[in-house]
Amino acid sequence: MTNTLRTGLVGLAALCLSAAALAAPPSRYLHVRVDDASNQEKVRVNIPLSLVETVIPAINHGQFHGGEIDCGDLRANGVDLRMILDAVKNAPDGEFVTVQAPDKDVRVAKSNGNLIVHVTEKGDKKKVDVTIPWAVAQALGSGTDKQINLEAAIEALEKAGDTTLVTVTDEDQTVRVWIDSRNTAD
Amino acid sequence: MILLAKIGLGFFGTALVAGAVVSSEGFIHVKVNEKQTDGHHISLVVPAMLVPLTLEMVPNHYLAPAAQNLRPYMPVVDAALSGLANCPDGTLVEVTDHEQHATVVKQGGSIVVDVQDPDETVHVAVPLRATRNAIHEIADAGGTI
Repeated sequence: MTNTLRTGLVGLAALCLSAAALAAPPSRYLHVRVDDASNQEKVRVNIPLSLVETVIPAINHGQFHGGEIDCGDLRANGVDLRMILDAVKNAPDGEFVTVQAPDKDVRVAKSNGNLIVHVTEKGDKKKVDVTIPWAVAQALGSGTDKQINLEAAIEALEKAGDTTLVTVTDEDQTVRVWIDSRNTAD
Repeated sequence: MILLAKIGLGFFGTALVAGAVVSSEGFIHVKVNEKQTDGHHISLVVPAMLVPLTLEMVPNHYLAPAAQNLRPYMPVVDAALSGLANCPDGTLVEVTDHEQHATVVKQGGSIVVDVQDPDETVHVAVPLRATRNAIHEIADAGGTI
């Protein structure tokens, strides 16, 4: 009797563990948060990435076709942007561009597998920080020659860890765009 | 006596099945409360199934212009509604300012919109499946896609 009970409990535990292992991964969300101190306005948007993934391939309007955006030639002045992306991907972490102007500072860097862009506008005290995981940047450039592959980028975002993608702050407003597995923005 | 019981059972069964069919697509709930002392208080619960059925009775020429505008976007509408139906429940949009608070929430198979401002509160809940059927009914007006 004890043996049967023990075997049953072990079986039940194994079943629970298998179920946990096979459980679907948590849904990923794209969040947008806007706080405007000047009129006490707050906006919170929480969009499941699965929803974005379903809708984007269905859009066929203007330059938007089958999950890709037609943006002309991805070559600028004979420079292949895709090749540059590949080259930068294999380069070590570091700063690639630093511009210091009287009204604006710009910094482009690669750090921990992310492409990072910082812009500071001194006049209106605006700061923009953009962090793009490399997998997402690569996916964006994975379309045909003249297209940005948005669908692949969303798929790559879904696999990326929790990341703040964009932060914009000025005297009145704060905007933050990020992804994580929570369905609330606070 | 047995015949009466059978007839009663027939009526009861029919009413039960009709009730089940009518409520199969859920209910549209609209609630408006005006906060003024003489304000209106409206609460409306309509079986969602009635919307596409009613649209079916509208003469095609009334819906044709809307259908023409809607048709190119039907793949996106279908994708969005099926994506919404499959995504987990939660608050999709929330807007707050010093006077108003508005939320758009996915709850079960419905989209629920709540708006609160100093003058009134509004609550609208619409089942997604009924929304899809109603939009298809409009898009199909004047001929199937």
